[in-house]
Amino acid sequence: MSYLDNKEPPKREDRLQARIAYGGSICGLAKGKQGGCIADQERSFTQGSICLLLPGLAMLNSLPDSVVILHGAIGCGSCAHSQNANVRSGGNIRWGRVKDALWLSTALNESEVVNGGEPKLEAAIREAYRRYRPATIIVVAGCVPGIIGDDIDGVAARLQGEISAKILPVHCEGFKTKIWATAYDAVYHSLGRNLLDDPEEETRIIPDELEDLKEKHRLSRTVNLMNVSSMGRVDEQELERLLRSLGLSVNIFPVFSKPEEMYRVKYAALSISTCPTHDDYILKHLQEKYGVPYILQHMPIGIENTNHWLRDVAAFFHLEELAENIIAREVAELEEALAEFKPLFAGKKAFINAGEIRAFANAYLLTELGFEIVGIRSFHHDEFAEIEYEKLSKIAGQDYVVNIANAQPFEEANLLKKLKPDLFLGHWNGNATAAKLGIATHVIYNTGLNYIGYKGVYEMARRVYRQLKNPSFNRKACEYIRLPYHERWYEAEPFSHIKAQGGVNHA
Amino acid sequence: MPNFIERPRYFCALGGAMETITALPGAIPVLHAAPGCAGNITWTQNGGSGLQVGGYCGALHVPCSNVQEKEVVFGGVDRLREEIRHTLDIIAGELYFVITGCVTEIIGDDVRAVINQFREEGVPIIHAETGGFKGNSYYGYELVLQSLFKNYLTKGLEKKKNKVNLWGIVPFMDVFWRGNLEGLRLLLEKLGFEVNTFFTQDDTLPEIQKAGSAALNIVVSDLYGVEAAELFKEIHGTPFIVTPLPVGPSATHEFLRQAGEAAGIDPATVEKFVTQEKQRYYKYLEPLLEGYNDLDLQRHVIVIGDANYAVSLTKFLADDLGWLPELVVFSDPLNETQQQLFSQRFDLESGLQPVVVFETDTSEVIRHFKQNWPEFHGQKYYNAFAPGFVLGSSLDRELALSLGAAHLSVSFPVANRAIIDRGYTGFRGGLRLIEDLLGSCIAAR
Repeated sequence: MSYLDNKEPPKREDRLQARIAYGGSICGLAKGKQGGCIADQERSFTQGSICLLLPGLAMLNSLPDSVVILHGAIGCGSCAHSQNANVRSGGNIRWGRVKDALWLSTALNESEVVNGGEPKLEAAIREAYRRYRPATIIVVAGCVPGIIGDDIDGVAARLQGEISAKILPVHCEGFKTKIWATAYDAVYHSLGRNLLDDPEEETRIIPDELEDLKEKHRLSRTVNLMNVSSMGRVDEQELERLLRSLGLSVNIFPVFSKPEEMYRVKYAALSISTCPTHDDYILKHLQEKYGVPYILQHMPIGIENTNHWLRDVAAFFHLEELAENIIAREVAELEEALAEFKPLFAGKKAFINAGEIRAFANAYLLTELGFEIVGIRSFHHDEFAEIEYEKLSKIAGQDYVVNIANAQPFEEANLLKKLKPDLFLGHWNGNATAAKLGIATHVIYNTGLNYIGYKGVYEMARRVYRQLKNPSFNRKACEYIRLPYHERWYEAEPFSHIKAQGGVNHA
Repeated sequence: MPNFIERPRYFCALGGAMETITALPGAIPVLHAAPGCAGNITWTQNGGSGLQVGGYCGALHVPCSNVQEKEVVFGGVDRLREEIRHTLDIIAGELYFVITGCVTEIIGDDVRAVINQFREEGVPIIHAETGGFKGNSYYGYELVLQSLFKNYLTKGLEKKKNKVNLWGIVPFMDVFWRGNLEGLRLLLEKLGFEVNTFFTQDDTLPEIQKAGSAALNIVVSDLYGVEAAELFKEIHGTPFIVTPLPVGPSATHEFLRQAGEAAGIDPATVEKFVTQEKQRYYKYLEPLLEGYNDLDLQRHVIVIGDANYAVSLTKFLADDLGWLPELVVFSDPLNETQQQLFSQRFDLESGLQPVVVFETDTSEVIRHFKQNWPEFHGQKYYNAFAPGFVLGSSLDRELALSLGAAHLSVSFPVANRAIIDRGYTGFRGGLRLIEDLLGSCIAAR
C-alpha cells in the first residue's frame, strides 16, 4: 500500500528516522559511525522554532488561482505576510502581474475549540468558493483541529460534490512532528492525491499519427524539474538553461505551477530534484504509480555539485559526451570570472546554518571558492545527507563541527563565539545572531537572488565578496548590541543541553 | 460571526503577547507552546512590521517548550518546568514572562502552579494565558499588560502628582510604536509630567515596577489596553482617561487639553504650550505652502486601518491637512457596541462625513467603495475619485492600483517600508506624516 492511500503522510521521524539534535564533527559523521543512524536525542533547553506549517504555506500560497483556508486559531499561518513578498515577485516575474497571496483563517474561537470547528470550516469553504471562484481551495489544518479532532478530510469529501473547485486537505499540525521538512510530504501528499488526474479527454476528431508521434517524442525528452519555494525564478532559469543545452524540455513542478496543469508531471521521461529533503516523497510516488523514474541527489549549488547534477541527467539520456563538453566550457568560463574574487576569500573562515542538503552544498561551494569551513549547522539529519558528508570530508582541510539543530541559536551563539568565523551563511530570520557578534553574513536563500547552477556560484561569490569588503554595519552594531545569553553560557560546552530521549544531559 | 477572516491583519493572542514582552526592557518571553509558534510570529513580523523583527530576546531566540504529541497526551508541565529551569541558567533577563499557546491551553496544563513554584524560589517570573484562540494580537497585548499590572507592579505605593503612565500603542502591530510612544512621552515631559511608557528606550523595569504610583493613566486608544486600565484602577486605584491616538496639531491639542484637565494642570499652561508648539509646526510648514498649492496636493482618500489609525489618520487628514476622507475602513473584528462607539468618533471639525465601514477582508473594500461612489459608465462629466489616495496597509496596494490612486502603508501589515524611530503622534508626528503622504504623491516627479 502506498503512503498516499492514507489521509495523512507519516512523519519523517518514522519514515526516514530524521533527527534534530546532535553535536559532533564532519569526519565523525562521514565515517558512518553515526551517519544515518543518529540516536533520537532531544534538548533540555529549547528555543522557538518553525513548524511544518511555514514551509507548507510557502509552497501552497504560490499556487495560482487558489485560495488557502487556514483552519485553526486566528494567528496560525500569519507567516503568509512574509511569504507574500515571494508570491508577489514570483507572480510578477512569471506572468508579469503583481498579485497578493490569498489566504483565509477560520479563526477558531474558544467556543469552537470546545464544540468543534467543522461547521465553520464547511461554511468557510462554501463562502470562499462563492466569493473568489478559485480552481482549488486548499484547507490547511493547524494544531487546534488536530487536538480537538476536526476531520478536514471528511469535510472536504462532503463538500467536493457541491462545488467545482478542487478541495485539497493538507495536514500541518505543528505538534505532530519535530521535522518541519514533513511539510513537503504533507503538500505533495495532497497534490498527489487530488491534482494528478488527467483532464477531460481531448480526442482528435481526425486521427493524426504524425502528431501523436511528435508528442510522444517530445515527452520522451521532457523532464520534471522539481522546484522548491526557496528557489526564485532566476534559479529555475539557470537550470532550464542547462537542461535545454542537453536538448530537453522542462516542466517545472510544483511551486508556482498551475493546478490544472499539474497532471503533466505524470508524463515526463524523468523527474529531477534539486534537493532530496524536499522531493523524495513525491518522486517515489511518481515512480511507483506512474513509472516516472527520478534523480534524487546533488543539490546544484557549487561547481562540482552542478557538474554532478548535470552528469546524472545526461547519463539517463545517454548524453554523457555532450554533458562533458558543456561542463568543460561552463567551468572554464566560470573559473575565469571567479578569479577576481578569490584572493579575498583565501583562508577566510566560514560557518553555515541551513537545511541539511543546502547547508552542505553551500559548504562545498565555499570550499571551492577558497574558504575554510569551521562549522555547519543543519536543521535536521536524515539518510540523504550521507553522500554529502562523504563529499565534504574528502575536500575538508581539517575536521570541523557539525551541529544538528532545529534553529536553536543559543548553540550557534556559543559556537560562533568560540570559532570566530569571518563569514556566516544563514537561513531567513537566522542571520541576526552572527550579525550581533559582528560577523559578516549572507542569507542562504532569498528568492530574488541567484544561488543555483554555475551562474549561482558566480552571483554568490559576488555577493559574499561585497559583504566581506565592507562588514561595517554588523561590526559597528556588535559594539552596542548584545545577545540575550549569560556570559557563563559561552564558557559552557555547546552541546551540553543535548540528551538522550527522556534521559539526562550529556554534560 | 463571519466564517473566516481574509488575510487577518494581526497575529494571535500569543503573538501579540510575545512581541509585547520582547518590547518590554529586560523582559524574556518564555513560550509554552508548539514548536512553530515562535517562528510563525517571527515570520509575520518580518513581513508586516516595517522590517522590525525581534529585539533583545525575540524571534527564534525566545525560550519555548516546543511541546509535541507526548506532551499532548501526558501533559506538558514537566517540560515547562525543565524549560524554565534551563532558561534561568542560559538567558539573562530581569523578568521572565511565561505565555501559553493553543496546544498547552487546550490540554489544560496548570501553568500557574509551575510559576508559583519558581516565584517561591524568588525568581522574577509571571505568566499570562494567551492561547491563540482567545483573540488576536491586540488582545494578547491587553493580557500581558493585565498580568504585568496584577503580578509585577508594586502595590500600595503613594501617588505622585504629575506622574502618568501612558499606553494603548501595541508594539510591532503599530510599526511606529517606538516613535509614537516617544513623541507623546516628550510632549508630556515638556508639560511637566513624569511619564512611564513601558516600551521606550527611556523606560526600565525598576521604574515600570513603580507604575502604581502614577496619579493618572492615559490610554491613547479606544480599544487596546482599556480593560487593563480598568484592572489597574481596581488594583492600584489610579484613574484613567481614554483618548484617540493623537496625530497632528488638532488632535494633539485636544489630547493635551484632556490630559491636563484630568491631571489638574492649569488650562492656561496647556494652552500656552500648545500655542508654542503649533507656531513651531506651522513655521515648519511655511515653505511647503507654495508647492502644496501649486501642485494641487489635496486628495480624495480612503483610510483603512486598525481601531487606532482608522480614527486618527482620518481626523488628521480631514481637520489638519484638508484632504477629503471619503471612506474609512476599520480592519479589526469589532462587536456592535464597539462599532457604535467608533462610529461616533467622527465628529470632524471640518464638517466632513466620511462613510465608515467595519470590514476585516481586504478584497471587500472595493465593494464598499463602489457602493458609495457613483459608477463610471462613460458619462461625459464624471465626479471621479481623483486625485485619489489610499492610506492603509501594504495589502491595499492592489486597491490603490485599481483606482489609480497613490498609496502609503501605515497600518499593519507594512511590508514595503523600513521603520526605525519614525512616529506620527504629536505635532512633529503630523509633519512626518505630511512628508510621507506628499512624498508618495510626488514620487514620479
